[in-house]
Amino acid sequence: MNLSAHSIPQGHDHHDSHGHSDDHGGGHGHLTLQYQPGLPLSKGKLIMWLFLSTEIMFFAALLGSYVVLRFGAPVWPKPHHVHLSEPIGAFNTFVLICSSVTIVLALEAARANKALQAKNWMLATLLLGSLFLGVKGYEYAAKFSHGIYPAQPHSLIYEKPDLYYGAAVRARLGEPAIIDRLKELDDTPEDKLSSEEASARRRLQKIRQMVMSPDQQPFDLAVVADQVMPLPSEGADGHGGHAEGLNDTFSWLRLPTVIPGGNMWASTYFLLTGFHAIHVAVGLLVFAILLTFRLDRKRAGMIENAGLYWHFVDLVWIFLFPLLYLF
Amino acid sequence: MSDHHDHAAHGPITRTGELSPPSHSHEDHDHGQHESHGGLGQYLAVFAALCALTTMSFFTYSPLWPWRDQPHVGWAFMMAVSCTKAMLVVLFFMHVLWEANWKYVLTIPAAMMAIFLALMLVPDVGLRNRMVSQERALHMARPSDVKLMERAGEAQVLGEASAH
Repeated sequence: MNLSAHSIPQGHDHHDSHGHSDDHGGGHGHLTLQYQPGLPLSKGKLIMWLFLSTEIMFFAALLGSYVVLRFGAPVWPKPHHVHLSEPIGAFNTFVLICSSVTIVLALEAARANKALQAKNWMLATLLLGSLFLGVKGYEYAAKFSHGIYPAQPHSLIYEKPDLYYGAAVRARLGEPAIIDRLKELDDTPEDKLSSEEASARRRLQKIRQMVMSPDQQPFDLAVVADQVMPLPSEGADGHGGHAEGLNDTFSWLRLPTVIPGGNMWASTYFLLTGFHAIHVAVGLLVFAILLTFRLDRKRAGMIENAGLYWHFVDLVWIFLFPLLYLF
Repeated sequence: MSDHHDHAAHGPITRTGELSPPSHSHEDHDHGQHESHGGLGQYLAVFAALCALTTMSFFTYSPLWPWRDQPHVGWAFMMAVSCTKAMLVVLFFMHVLWEANWKYVLTIPAAMMAIFLALMLVPDVGLRNRMVSQERALHMARPSDVKLMERAGEAQVLGEASAH
């Protein structure tokens, strides 16, 4: 297909599907010039594909950076060190795949001029996309509750149990609000605490002594870090599981934690999933707008373009899921 | 896909190069297209394949995965699975399988740029820890820190079983 003008006998359009029939050479006598666009697709679809090719490069840059950062790092946290749940990630993958199917069915329904059916499929897509975002929000909340943020001052992550970590724990324990809460905890009679809390209180008292002690050893700080938030080991079942640390038992404590490689992990995780979530949210907005129209054959082009975008968002997640959750 | 078909797929083209508004023949053709590709059965087959592939990559996480001590096997496997899934979505859901040759114009340069982009990060970012200053070496996390944390978890220095 090129930009040159072809000379085509009039009436060509009507006989196109039957091939070139007799009137090709027939006696109409005059020719009209017909111009063909460089790419044989509608403007909207062309623009969507151009946009998607920029999006390919956008996410390739992000994913590429993630991969080189991850494999160039001396230590990278295991998914359980950063409280990632593989089943939740797999569930979200399933949700997005389902939504890809529903949008493609919406397009097929619109092409067959079944407006109501198209609307229902699109509504299903909107709901599945919202479910995805809801699950993502739940995951983010779980990270935040463990002090995993992309940056200070909210982030509690330290790279190693060194002197700086010890100083940060002392600083936190020295905050007036925490001193009051600790005093309150110390004064609580043993029978008012659950056995778990009583054990955690004894351990907390010991690590308070350990961080303040003048003859502190490097190993002591590793013990402190392990008590505050243990790094779940690969247990017998192969999954580790969520070991409870002092930060979990006393949610107000929020002591600094040690996750080797955790800061870079948090930066890349929130950047990648955050940009992906923004794309999902934009897709949902487009679906919400499309739902206000009558989705018959005339709108099939719009639905197709929205669908192309949505499949791309699904595509990005297809790579994000194994890279973030299973690597 | 031939030029002839490309032309037919979009109905008459006007002098200005615009696609003409849908005419009767255009709608007829669209309907034909609807029959010729896609279709519920095919979409459901692709959906089933995608679910099966997701389960396959999730399988690397299960204790039954035989190469748990060789992470590279799992990584290669998962990337192969992901590429297959991406292919299925692009070819069937994005209808690229049935598109004309313009698909190569838009996707191949973007894909090449994407690959080069990632490769160009390798020297400065990927190999950033080959040579580091002493100060940085002192403060960055090392595998030994993970070992230290693990030993601390097993040691039970506090004389009390924590919730491990």
